[in-house]
Amino acid sequence: MQSHERLLDVLRDRLGLKGTKEGCSTGDCGICAVLMDGKLVNSCLIFAIQARNKKIVTIEGIGTAEKLHPIQRAFMKWNASQCGYCIPAMILAAKDLLDKNPNPSDDDIKMATSGILCRCTGYLKIVEAVKTAADEMRK
Amino acid sequence: MYIPEDLQDLLQYLDTHQTGIHLIANGSDLINRIQRRQVDPQVLVDLSGLSEFNYVRKESNTIRVGALTTISDLTISPAIDSRHEVFREVAAKFGGPSIINVATVGGNICAASSSEDLLPVLLVLDAQVRLRSKYGERVMRLEDFLRGKRVTDLKPNEILVETMFQEIDAQSACTFEKFGMRNSLIIAFVNSAVYLRLDKVTRRVDEIRVAFNRVAGKVPERAKRTERKLRGKILNGIVVKDAVSTLRNELRLSSDFRVSGEYRTEVACTLFRRALSRCVERLVEEKIIV
Amino acid sequence: MVDDQAAVEKLRQSRQLLVVGKSVERVDSIDKVLGKPIYTMDIVPENALYLKVVRSKFPHALLKRVDVSEARKYLGVAAVVTAQDIPGINESTALLPDKPLLASDRVRFAGEPIAAIASYDPSIAEEAVDLVKIEYESLPAVFSPVDAMKPDALKIHENGNIAKHLKLRKGNVQEGFKQADLIVEGTYKSQFQEPVPLEPEAGFVIPEPDGSVTCVGSIQSPFHVQTGIAKILSLHPDQVRVIQAATGGAFGPKSDEIPVDVLGMAALVAVKTRKPAALAYTREESMIGHTKRHPFVTTLKAGVKKNGKLTAWEATLLADTGAYASLGPLVAIRACFHATGPYVIPHVKTDAYCVYTNNTMAGSFRGFGGPQAHFAAESHIDEIAKKLGMDPLDFRLLNILRPGALTATSQVVDEACGLEESINKAVKESDWYRKREQFSKMNGTKRRGLGIAIMYHGNSLGPEGNDYAAVHMQIEKDGLVRFRTGLTEYGTGAPSGLIQIAAETMHLPMNYFKLEPPDTDHCSDTGPTVASRTITIGGRATQMVAGKLHQTLKEIAAEMLECAAGEVESADAKYYSKSNLERAVSYVEVIEWAYRHGVPLKEAGTFTAPKCEYDPETSQGTTYLQYTYGAVTAEVEVDTETGRVQVIKMVTAYDVGKAINPLSLEGQIEGGTVQGLGYSIMEELIHKDGVVVNPNLADYYIPTSLDIPEIKTIVVEYPGNLGPYGAKAIGEPPIVLPAPAIVNAIDNAIGVRLNQIPATPDRVLMGFKKKIAANKRA
Repeated sequence: MQSHERLLDVLRDRLGLKGTKEGCSTGDCGICAVLMDGKLVNSCLIFAIQARNKKIVTIEGIGTAEKLHPIQRAFMKWNASQCGYCIPAMILAAKDLLDKNPNPSDDDIKMATSGILCRCTGYLKIVEAVKTAADEMRK
Repeated sequence: MYIPEDLQDLLQYLDTHQTGIHLIANGSDLINRIQRRQVDPQVLVDLSGLSEFNYVRKESNTIRVGALTTISDLTISPAIDSRHEVFREVAAKFGGPSIINVATVGGNICAASSSEDLLPVLLVLDAQVRLRSKYGERVMRLEDFLRGKRVTDLKPNEILVETMFQEIDAQSACTFEKFGMRNSLIIAFVNSAVYLRLDKVTRRVDEIRVAFNRVAGKVPERAKRTERKLRGKILNGIVVKDAVSTLRNELRLSSDFRVSGEYRTEVACTLFRRALSRCVERLVEEKIIV
Repeated sequence: MVDDQAAVEKLRQSRQLLVVGKSVERVDSIDKVLGKPIYTMDIVPENALYLKVVRSKFPHALLKRVDVSEARKYLGVAAVVTAQDIPGINESTALLPDKPLLASDRVRFAGEPIAAIASYDPSIAEEAVDLVKIEYESLPAVFSPVDAMKPDALKIHENGNIAKHLKLRKGNVQEGFKQADLIVEGTYKSQFQEPVPLEPEAGFVIPEPDGSVTCVGSIQSPFHVQTGIAKILSLHPDQVRVIQAATGGAFGPKSDEIPVDVLGMAALVAVKTRKPAALAYTREESMIGHTKRHPFVTTLKAGVKKNGKLTAWEATLLADTGAYASLGPLVAIRACFHATGPYVIPHVKTDAYCVYTNNTMAGSFRGFGGPQAHFAAESHIDEIAKKLGMDPLDFRLLNILRPGALTATSQVVDEACGLEESINKAVKESDWYRKREQFSKMNGTKRRGLGIAIMYHGNSLGPEGNDYAAVHMQIEKDGLVRFRTGLTEYGTGAPSGLIQIAAETMHLPMNYFKLEPPDTDHCSDTGPTVASRTITIGGRATQMVAGKLHQTLKEIAAEMLECAAGEVESADAKYYSKSNLERAVSYVEVIEWAYRHGVPLKEAGTFTAPKCEYDPETSQGTTYLQYTYGAVTAEVEVDTETGRVQVIKMVTAYDVGKAINPLSLEGQIEGGTVQGLGYSIMEELIHKDGVVVNPNLADYYIPTSLDIPEIKTIVVEYPGNLGPYGAKAIGEPPIVLPAPAIVNAIDNAIGVRLNQIPATPDRVLMGFKKKIAANKRA
């Protein structure tokens, strides 16, 4: 691993985890977000070496086709994914939020996703999906 | 990349290799600049493992914040009580969870640029910085530490270990205002921080400090002429209007492809009034007509 | 045996729709929520070369010399391609043959591709870019249509700087102005809006052993790309296979020449080196290199009687198409035809010009001239109302198109016109009169305003080209129905809607169908996925093909049930005889029978929309086959000390004909509305002397989750004659009205008419201060 490699590159190119996307290369869109030690971070802004000894969760770790995470099911129910490119980051941001705040308000959800750009949905169905997921997960 | 084993190791390393090094706390600022091919560092020294510098402590009336404290950690620290709400105000407009989870106080300070929102707040709190090298420590005022755009007084064998400021007590208030084109992911056009110490009975301004992301240069600064106009005065609408006039002349904000310097100045004055107004509200629970 | 015979019979008699019109889950969601590797750069072959593009530094220059010799020799560089390496025609275009793939003797915009460098290591390719020596001889450049149209301006293209001039002549405007009691003039300007699909352009090409190539990319129009690559490589289109990978947003640029640029450059390298070659644009390249919305300068002159009836409308529209026309002429057509807004005006004269400049390219982008035309028209309508002393809503209602009226192109509005109902519902939901009354009394720092804008949108390609779509369907042995079309999914959800239509037509559950990725090897030419035509034209093709397949299945069932084919009814994957409900055969049994008896279960077909006929000199005639209508209100709050505008609530009402999937429809409307909001107050791609100064997402602002208003969507259904179940185009309309609605709301809030968008805080504040100063002087 080279010292200037970004966490994003290691995830995609070395570990073959393609779920984390690159949207802008300058840290302005949040599309590359992953969970590092339980905190949402932009993987394009982290040197891979600095992620050593840390637990990284990407979209691949959230659920599988056989066992979808409630957040994933909620996104599907609301047709919240349009082109799908921001969805891995949005789902991880939702997980980050719901892990800390199981009963978020609409404003909480918007705040939690405020660092991730979406061009297709206008965000509203994403907010609905997270609310539904929160309801599901509280049961 | 060089990963120091501990502080001693780091300080020794810095003392021996004084050139070509970039210190990184989390690297987001640097990665960006590497991507834009603005810089091509030889060696990166990763400070992120030095967890002993992630703290917020209150010691008598001083608040001490370790350089590796993230903005996110700062906002949830119990030492940041309701009087220190200003830090949460900064965090709320920083750019979303993924940014504040990683940005550090030390990183903000050493970047020394007008896009570091924390700096105007630390300046009005008259913060100091503690620097350490293999040979010892020194403390200096943040104001003096920031020498220019991306230039600080940090010596090649030093690291920034903490910043300290007097806590905001019952007679004082501190607020932050930020203006941008949208509500998140904003690189501020203008931001403003105000620290006010008011005699609640007489409404006399015992102390006032005002800072912006830019005043006359390219780094955050205090608007001292404006401060002098207010210091010691009894606060009322006329006094504030007068101060705003002074501020208008003190600010030397340039135009860019986006907006004119005139507009920025206009907004800066408005943000100053609003920040000041909120300080007053917090202290005496009434609005002054500004 | 049929389970509930009575229910089935009832169903047959009511013919209630089972799945069309329902908010079912999209078929493509699961892969996306799982983060499956389905986008172009997720599936690049292991041993691929990566390209970096060498781009022009100047907006207009002759290329005296392009020397790639040093770059070629650089360690790690596998290939460098220039115009000299093109075996076929050096062309990558959308409509007019005006644009090369790689510049050879002249560059016309800053950022134009000149060469491409390939290496296994992208950073090596990037370093080698600096080694390419280019000698430019600067030419005078123009950056506005007005300058470009001056008689002494240097010709950017041989045939002059006006790529297209459209004329619309209805009646006699001079007469119309004579009849008017009041004449109102105004000029309106709009900006370059950058589409910002979150996935930047990407593509890779694999050279096949038989000399053909396989292209995979983030594209909207596989067949357009196929034709383009074939020309560049001097191959027959059959030797070029194009597959669309999952595409992370498109909005227009990925339908024009840009995918041909990307895949063309990759193809040159692939063919030269016999290795797979991939090119992914950086965000910066994407924003500079792909097409964006045309800036317009629109001058309007309207004549109106005292009683509020419009008599005449004269419009001049200047569109800046940048260095190459792309689909600019078609954008100008749509803007020209819609330049009046949805109103009855007896005398109309419109001239629309699509003009070359040395700015970066403008081309397809959702709305396609509609947003620009309506921003001007709807702002102007408000101004006219003001001058007449009429409420802007009342003034509109007096003049709107209703069934039987003539449009500006003298097309008769048919019964499928939900404009009035859309307006009435939007207005009711926004509490129009009460709120405007309330807001007029506000005089604090923050002021609110409520504005309205209405639209019409001619459906499908209309005058823009032949409108057709192909669908192939095939049933596998296990009953899976493979659905293939060249229409692409890039966020719209429309292809998923086609599955709904197919399922509805065949009375089968949706999960029996598999939507295959568009692949030119497995489907006939389907045309581009643009102009919101997937549901309308693609839907008709789907109905046709699914209908044929369904008929085949019924005929087999008839054999099995020993009854006449006409006797067979179907419901819920079963087939039974009308006269004998006791007997039924299941779908699975029918498929089995078909395979045993060698009956092919395969159908393909192309639906072609009727052609639009109109006079090209006057633009009078049938310009579109049907229209979508809409009305949007916006409630804003303006901070009069900073000029910052917050949009609080928007009500968006559309006549969509028939909502195939109401939930997906809402998502599309909300998304388009937020894009329109960005267009109105914060988005502006800025050129300085032809160079884009904010080609990144830090300095080009699109709305974040904290910028969105409350959006209430109202759907009205007046089924049209073109789409399946009467569906109308709805992909593009939502982006059209936010700008004029918001600008009209700002006027209502602070009495300032902003003639230019985006209505950024500095412009709003300046307008407000001017007004205060003017009031003081008065």
